[in-house]
Amino acid sequence: MKKTIMTRFGEVEFDPENTVLFVDGLIGFENLRDFIVMPNRKNGPLFWIQSVEEPDLAFVLTDPTNFFLDYKVVPDARERAKLGIGTDDDCHALAVVTVPPDRKVTLNLMAPVLFAPATNRAIQVVLEKSQYKTRHPLPA
Amino acid sequence: MLVLTRKPGEGIVIGDDIKITFIETKGAGIRIGIEAPSGKKIYRQEIYDRICLENREASQWNLADLDMLTSAMGKKESL
Repeated sequence: MKKTIMTRFGEVEFDPENTVLFVDGLIGFENLRDFIVMPNRKNGPLFWIQSVEEPDLAFVLTDPTNFFLDYKVVPDARERAKLGIGTDDDCHALAVVTVPPDRKVTLNLMAPVLFAPATNRAIQVVLEKSQYKTRHPLPA
Repeated sequence: MLVLTRKPGEGIVIGDDIKITFIETKGAGIRIGIEAPSGKKIYRQEIYDRICLENREASQWNLADLDMLTSAMGKKESL
């Protein structure tokens, strides 16, 4: 049964069976769990996720390996348990994109979103001891 | 805020599943040990605050910017 919500980008129709569950929300948005993955409007590396519960809230995401070839995040046992996956299941690390008013895009490589396609679950993790920053500019 | 004085080796218990032990002072820092259920997320405050702020800023964007960026990136990739 399809549902619709009114977002700041207009009306969005979605299948409630097919949303992504952020098990712990995103950091600072812990109470928002259900997100819709919006299809790319144009071909390109960016897409966005729209909160089901908060129509004003949406995040731009990208696969950081489009820009940083060796970026890799492997979930530990605790993270796999949250995602509901085993060691052999796929898990993609996605970066939250910040688009400041000057449009000099940065990627949050310190706090990637781990997404498990098998369960449609996601978590945001913090790589505290990495060299990655919350505002990595795109490579020139 | 509750303020307590503890000596090295002493601890505090929060609820029935979080235990914090004050291990030692080291220079200007204090080493503490935390025992908590594995599902509980523990962050250094300044890192947690920075990521909250970044997530908040990342939620402020508009569709025109996204379209413009997508077009710009698409062009770069096809070169």
